[in-house]
Amino acid sequence: MKVVTGVVGNDIHVVANRLIDLSLQARGYEVFNLGVNTYLEEFFDAVIETGAEVLLISSLNGEAEGWGREVPRLKAKYKKLDDVIMMIGGNLVVGTGNAEDIVPRYKGYGFDIVCHQVDLNTGLDSLEEMLIERKLK
Amino acid sequence: MSQIDSSNNTAKNSQGKLLIDVGSTYFKISNNTDIEQHFRDFNKSILDDLTYKCGNKIEGFDKKDIHICSSANGGLSTLIIGVTQSFSLKFATNIAFNSGINIIDTVLFQNIEEYSVPSDLIDVVIIVGGIDSNPDNFSDSLYRYLENLTYSNVVFVGSELDAPTIKENIKDVVILPNIIDNRLHIVEESLREYLTNLYQQDIEGKEDIKDLYTITDNQIFSTPYVVNKTLPYIHTKYAVVDPFILLDIGGATTDIHYSKDLVDENIVTENEYDRLVFKKLGVYKSKQSLIFAAKANEFVYELLMHLKVTENIFEVQSEKATKILMQLAIFLVLCKMSHYQKGYINLKLLSVNSFVLTGGITKVLTVEEIEDIISFFYKKILNSEHNPATVLDTNYDIWTLSANEIAEGK
Ligand code: B12
Repeated sequence: MKVVTGVVGNDIHVVANRLIDLSLQARGYEVFNLGVNTYLEEFFDAVIETGAEVLLISSLNGEAEGWGREVPRLKAKYKKLDDVIMMIGGNLVVGTGNAEDIVPRYKGYGFDIVCHQVDLNTGLDSLEEMLIERKLK
Repeated sequence: MSQIDSSNNTAKNSQGKLLIDVGSTYFKISNNTDIEQHFRDFNKSILDDLTYKCGNKIEGFDKKDIHICSSANGGLSTLIIGVTQSFSLKFATNIAFNSGINIIDTVLFQNIEEYSVPSDLIDVVIIVGGIDSNPDNFSDSLYRYLENLTYSNVVFVGSELDAPTIKENIKDVVILPNIIDNRLHIVEESLREYLTNLYQQDIEGKEDIKDLYTITDNQIFSTPYVVNKTLPYIHTKYAVVDPFILLDIGGATTDIHYSKDLVDENIVTENEYDRLVFKKLGVYKSKQSLIFAAKANEFVYELLMHLKVTENIFEVQSEKATKILMQLAIFLVLCKMSHYQKGYINLKLLSVNSFVLTGGITKVLTVEEIEDIISFFYKKILNSEHNPATVLDTNYDIWTLSANEIAEGK
C-alpha cells in the first residue's frame, strides 16, 4: 500500500513528518515523503505518479485552513484522484479549536479522515479501519 | 579532471591546436596566440567563408589538431507528453533544456484530447509518467494523438510496467530507463545522453556543418555543450564568486548557464550546472523578436529613459542602437529568470554573487554599461540594492578553456 505524505504549504515543522514516515513504514506502508514545504499540486501530482492509495497531509503552523479550502477546486482538475483516501492531521486551525467544528469542515473540503491534534497512532489506526472498510486491506 | 593553471592555460593547452566556433552571426578562430573574429558572409557556405577569411591559418594545422564547435544549427524540437506538471513534465523539460533542445509544447496526458496537434514536424516526442511500480499511466488517447502528429523520433522514459504496451502500440519507439526514480527524484543520464546524441547527429547532418569535416578529424560539438563543460573550471581563469550566472548573448540566441544552487525547485540532479536557451533573443539574427519582447515588457520604457534614449532607437541601425539592444537583452533575460515573469524556471537572483558575460556582447558593452543594467534590474524588479560582481570574458577564454578540455578528450 502506497502513501504519499508531507507538510503542506510554507510549513517547515519537520519533526512530525519524520515520525509519520517512520510509523507508516513500521506499519508496512510504502512511503513517498515529500517533506516540509509541499504545495497541494505536488501532493496530487505525486499521487498520480506513484499510484498511491493514500494521501496523508500534515499541517502544524496554522496554514491548514487556507489550503483546505483550495482542495475541492484543485482536486476537480484531476481525473484520477477519486479513489484516493485523503487524510489530514496536525494543528488544523490557529490555536486549539474545537474538533466538532473542524472535522465536518475538513470533510467538506474532501478529506476522508481528519485528525485535529490527534495522536499519530490513533490517527493511523483510523486509516487502517478505513482501508478494511473499503476492502483495500 | 585536471585543474587548469590560470596564468598560462591557453598557451599550454592549445599548443598546436586550432579552435573554431561557428556561430549564427560570426565565427571565432583561436590558436595559441590570438583569437580572431569574423562576421559570417551568408552568401557563402560556412566552409568557403572560413577558408576565404582564414585559409592561411587553417592550412598551418593538421586535421587532427583542428577542433570545431557550432551553434549555427537551428537545434532540435521536442514535444513532451507527461502525466503531471510537478514531476514527469518538469523533469523531462529540465533534461530537454539541458540537452539544448527547443520545447515546442508540453501536453498533460489526462487532457490530451483537448490539445491541438502542432502542425510542425517534431524532431523528438518524449513520453513520460509514473514510477516503475505504477502501471497504466497511458491509454488509447495517447496513440490517437500520436497518429495525428508528425515526428521523426519518439522516446519513452516512463514506468517500466507500461513499456511493453507502449512498445506494442507506438512504432519505432525507443524505450529508455525511467527518468523518475522510486523516490520521485529525477534520473537524467539516459535521456540526456539520447537527446544529446540526436542533437549531435542533427548538427552533423546539416550540409554546411558536414562540409567542415574536410578540415577536421575531430567530432564537431555544439557550442553550448562546450561552454557548459567549462563551468567547473571558471575559477581558474576569473575571480568569480559562487554562485554565478553565465550569460552568453549572441546573434541569434541567449544562453544562460547557472549553478544548481540558484534553483528554488526541489529537483535533485547530479549535474552541478544547468543551462537554458532563449531562442529568438539575440541582437542580430533575432533582433526583431528581441524588440518585440522588449515592447511587451512594462519596464522597458523606464529603462530606455534611464539610458537616455527613446523607442525610436529600435528603428535605427547604429553602434549606439546595438549597444542599447544588448543592454535590453540583458534586462529581458534577467526578467525571464526572475519571479517577475513566471517562466520555466526562477533563479534565486538575490543569491547571485557574480555575473559572467561572454559572446558578442563583450565586444560591444563595457563593464560599466552592463553593471548599470544589472543594478537597474535589481532596483526596479527586485527592489533590492544587491549588486553582484560583473566579469567580462572579452577574450573568449571560457570557450577556449572547455574547447581545450574536450580536445584533450576529458
Ligand atoms: C519546534 C517548533 C518550531 C520550530 C520548528 C523546527 C522544525 N524545523 O521542525 C521553529 C522554531 C522553526 C518553529 C517556527 C514556527 N512555529 Co512552531 N513550533 C514548534 C513546537 C514548539 C514543537 C513542534 C514539534 O516539533 N513537535 C513535536 C512533534 C512530534 O509534534 P507535532 O508537530 O505536534 O506532531 C504530532 C501531532 O500533531 C501529530 N500529527 C502531525 N501531523 C499529523 C498528521 C496526521 C494525519 C495525524 C494523524 C497526526 C499528525 O503527530 C505528531 C506526533 O504525535 C510547536 C509547539 C508544540 N509544542 O507543539 C510550535 C508550533 C507548532 N509553532 C507554531 C508557530 C505559530 C510557528 C511560527 C509561525 C512562529 C513564528 N511566528 O514565526 C513559525 C512557523 C514557521 C513555518 N514556516 O512553518 C504554533 C502553531 C500554532 C497553530 N497552528 O495555531 C505552535 C503550535 C506553537 C504555539 N503553540 O503557538 N516552530
